[in-house]
Amino acid sequence: MQNPAAATTREIMATVLARDLVDGEWVEVGANLPVPRAGVLLAHLLWGPNMTVMIAMTKANVLNEPVIEEFQLITDHRATRWAEAYYLHNDLVENMKFRRKGVFFAGALQIDRYGNSNLIGIGKDYKALKFRGPGAIGVCNATVMNSRFHLVVNSHDKRIFVPKCDFVSAYGWGGGGKDARTKLGLPGGGPRYVVTPLCVMDFEDDTKRMRLKSLNPGISVDDVVQNTGFELAIPSQVPITPVPTQEELRVLRLRIDVGGALRQ
Amino acid sequence: MTEPVTNQPPQRQKRIMELDEVLAKVKDGMTIGIGGFINSSHPMLVVRGLIKRGIKNLTVAGAASSGLEIDLLIAAGCVAKVVAPYVGGEALSPIGPAFRAAVEKGRVEVFELDEAMYYAALRAAAQRVPFNPWRSGVGTSFPEVNPAIKVFRDPINGETLLAIPALNFDIAFLHAAVSDPYGNVQYVGHGYGDRAIYAAADQTYVQVEQVVSNEEIRKDPLKTAIPGADGVIRARFGAHPYSSPGHYIEDQEHIKQYVRAATAWAKDNDFGPLKKYLDDFVTGPADHPAYLERIGIRRLLALNEY
Repeated sequence: MQNPAAATTREIMATVLARDLVDGEWVEVGANLPVPRAGVLLAHLLWGPNMTVMIAMTKANVLNEPVIEEFQLITDHRATRWAEAYYLHNDLVENMKFRRKGVFFAGALQIDRYGNSNLIGIGKDYKALKFRGPGAIGVCNATVMNSRFHLVVNSHDKRIFVPKCDFVSAYGWGGGGKDARTKLGLPGGGPRYVVTPLCVMDFEDDTKRMRLKSLNPGISVDDVVQNTGFELAIPSQVPITPVPTQEELRVLRLRIDVGGALRQ
Repeated sequence: MTEPVTNQPPQRQKRIMELDEVLAKVKDGMTIGIGGFINSSHPMLVVRGLIKRGIKNLTVAGAASSGLEIDLLIAAGCVAKVVAPYVGGEALSPIGPAFRAAVEKGRVEVFELDEAMYYAALRAAAQRVPFNPWRSGVGTSFPEVNPAIKVFRDPINGETLLAIPALNFDIAFLHAAVSDPYGNVQYVGHGYGDRAIYAAADQTYVQVEQVVSNEEIRKDPLKTAIPGADGVIRARFGAHPYSSPGHYIEDQEHIKQYVRAATAWAKDNDFGPLKKYLDDFVTGPADHPAYLERIGIRRLLALNEY
């Protein structure tokens, strides 16, 4: 705790997500997604007291909780102890105005250079998939209706980062270009960051090609290039991903992640 | 002839039913909805009962995010088509093993959609219109892999949208906390998306932990989520091995036992463990009390948390 450089990769990833969040925004905390969960709670506790934090389909009041217990399953009814409102699941998915202030976090089986992503399955023929994925869950909609989203993955390799997704279940920047979403009438701001154990990536302003933004401590540009299945935009200077401050680490470890999911 | 004079007003019919009466309404090839959410609140007496009766060729939609109860129906060979934004058990099984295997082997067809499209489909059925429009999904593979979803130009503003066809349930099955004898159903908690499933169904049968009096329901009518279940099934511990909010948590050990059995079939093509699971817990027990006896009173009481 004395040395902020001792932050783990997952603590750094969570802090990157936290620092993007602004007070007043609306965010869902999924179950079994320890990195986005910690990022959301970190922002909420340190600089976002007016954020709406959704836990297990409830609007949760956790601001003054000394320790915010982590639940393994989204159906854990014990999380409703913090509820100041229930959201019926259908209301959560049908009513879209609140998502204008929303920020979403998505995982993926495959991600292409424009941030399009796939949860449907792997294989060229939909009728004969080599690997059947979990399904799109709520990701297709949430990546359209929220103000922006981040792709967060637990590994960084050429199986995930592919030249072309076999199927697109969440639209990123399509075939590229800053009008890729508006020309289809999609209201949300699209993918902003791609956060992996190796690095943080974002998208070039005009082309919307994926670009290396920062390297996690100890990772080289070559590590990223070797594990990415398409050509990234790489600036001449790539900074190191900022690590958590001592205060951020303290709140992460003593209030948000007491169980140590980010430290395993 | 005159009617006999009596002071007795017409009597309201009670809707409490035996499981077998309810199951007899399900025919091969029907479209059914199963409520709950991932690891919670699935009507498991009904699910096991459908398997026991050997019902085939169902089109099944679980909840917007369904759990391994749908996986079990697939494993037992009841399902021809699954309407599914998700089939799995979160951390306990990120993708349903039988779902994955059956789809990869081409034994089960998937009606591919996400949760918002799922509710649009239910809303269309509830509104008795052919489709509901939805925006998210434009530009994705959904209309391509699911040709029932059509891209269209809206006649009001000329925007490009998706038409999500109505998903009408012949029968919906739910599990809730309580009902009175007249089918006024209340939940502990929010009840996930069960109201939307009910609204899209021609008939709805609800398992409950407890039947309570009408007076009990009238203490808080705003809590009545399903105001007209066609039938109510007494089902204490009826969502086991999944949780029932306010009553018990999920039985992770039992869920993992199922996942191991289904994974042996999916990965190694060994149906033995799954057959044993079905024998032990689905076809073997004569009725729900016999099932609970196999689980054991000590295990059940250990789950008895809010």
